[in-house]
Amino acid sequence: MADDARKKEILEKLRNGVIQYDEDACREGANAAVAEGLDANEAIFDGLVSGMEEVGRLFEAQEYFVPEILMCADALYAGLDILKPHCKQMDLGVKGSVVIGTVEGDVHDIGKNLVKMMFDVAGFHVYDLGRDVPLDKFVDEQLKTDSELVCLSAMMTTSMVGMPKVIEKIKAKNPDCMIMIGGAPTSKDLADKWGADGYAEDASNALKEAIKMVAFLKKLRDEKAAKQ
Amino acid sequence: MNSRERVLKLFKKEAIDRVPCFSGMGNITETGINELGYKFAGIHLDAKQMAATAATTYKLFGFECGVVPVDLCVEAEAMGCVINVYPHAEGILYPTIKEKLIHNEAEMDTIRIPDGFSEKGRIPMMREAIKLLKADIGNDVAVGSYVLGPFTLAGQIMELNDLLKLSFKKADKVAKLLDLCADAIILTAKEFEKAGVDYITVREMGATSDVLSPRVFKNLIMPPLQKVIKSISCHSVLHICGKTNDIVTFMMEAGPTAISVEQKNDVAESRKKLGSDALIFGNVDAYNVLVSGSEDLVRSTVRKCIDDGVSAVWPGCDIWPTIPPQNMKAMMDEITRYGGKK
Repeated sequence: MADDARKKEILEKLRNGVIQYDEDACREGANAAVAEGLDANEAIFDGLVSGMEEVGRLFEAQEYFVPEILMCADALYAGLDILKPHCKQMDLGVKGSVVIGTVEGDVHDIGKNLVKMMFDVAGFHVYDLGRDVPLDKFVDEQLKTDSELVCLSAMMTTSMVGMPKVIEKIKAKNPDCMIMIGGAPTSKDLADKWGADGYAEDASNALKEAIKMVAFLKKLRDEKAAKQ
Repeated sequence: MNSRERVLKLFKKEAIDRVPCFSGMGNITETGINELGYKFAGIHLDAKQMAATAATTYKLFGFECGVVPVDLCVEAEAMGCVINVYPHAEGILYPTIKEKLIHNEAEMDTIRIPDGFSEKGRIPMMREAIKLLKADIGNDVAVGSYVLGPFTLAGQIMELNDLLKLSFKKADKVAKLLDLCADAIILTAKEFEKAGVDYITVREMGATSDVLSPRVFKNLIMPPLQKVIKSISCHSVLHICGKTNDIVTFMMEAGPTAISVEQKNDVAESRKKLGSDALIFGNVDAYNVLVSGSEDLVRSTVRKCIDDGVSAVWPGCDIWPTIPPQNMKAMMDEITRYGGKK
């Protein structure tokens, strides 16, 4: 087991690897974490996710834009792919599966992929339906997988209008399912009007919302650990 | 002064009796489609149906233009992409690109504009639709068309995800691709001009300042965009979506006759920045106001646009076809009532 100084160094490498979109650094950091017996969950949250939180901040400050975020995401995945097989099942009292996709008529999936990344990080089981997904497919997949969360994404006004139909159908069959909508043309008003439980208007907001959610999960984990 | 004279005089910065209300983007309505007994999926593939539908927004509501096409896939299709018009969809789904042309970085170097480009895809059909539309309502309103901006087109023919990353990592490679896209767009615009359009809107939607830094916009997006706009000899409008306040000066520098902005742009600010002479079109929210807003909201939005200093009241995106007819009427009524007051 690595000592505290070494552990800090590895976490820092993972964090900076994400911020500086350096895939190699993330891979090295992740390999070191595994080889030296760091807790994989800790390496993910205190290394990779912590880096992504800073990326979110840089985006908000308009120092980073979407191209940078996409590269940071690649770096995060480079580390995550190595760490994930070593993760312990997180016992958070949530089952954690999500159906996600871009609605029919829309072929944009960047925002969707960023949100998906955060669910991956949080250990959710992600059913990614991809893009240009027929509306009924969301409903069927939710029923089939009994997922507690469905995320619908649209980049174009012209494809967003399919969303209320999906929300209505899912809520009719499964009122407890949470639905998050996202994409440039969506708004809090539309989410309320259509009966969605959450919304994110752009990739950064989606990322922020997802980070918030994952940060919340992390808090639960820490609290649980503190009690033990 | 009829609508055609009003809009053309506006483009020439001559005196007009009131602010016009028109668009350079799609503006067909379900009311118009139903009146003609057409299906949305059909009008993209038939010059007659496309032109007849495009004329209805003027004929039914007095909207001050006629614009074709309706979708955003004309150039990409002529480049060789396969499009999906969703022929069996119940509701309204706009055509999308089914298959990209560039699947990896290496293919960015090998892509070429097909020989005989002006006869590819639906470009001949577009010439026909423009001519039909002009013959139908061309004496009463200005007839417009639109092309994509180079970056937006590049985002259709390759993965946007890759394009964005490469515009950071390998800007030279992307610049070369954007230049090729610009050439394809220039060829497309030439055909539209030959068919007789009065104005062309260049829609660089993918390059919003929500996505790319002003620096990347200036270094990478501007040069090919400028090339496209320079090549257009009729009136041109440059449209960019999103929070454009930081780039409106660049947009003007690209050289269009007018710029078009959406509701996320603070027009009063833009007006201050660009001066009283600049033509700024905008910025009615094409969905939250025109489709789901009340008639009162439509009217107050029209007034706010005028008070903020738009040169023309103009939806910030394609009008979504399910716009209630009473909202369309409210917009046109308010423009005649309030449009001459400033």
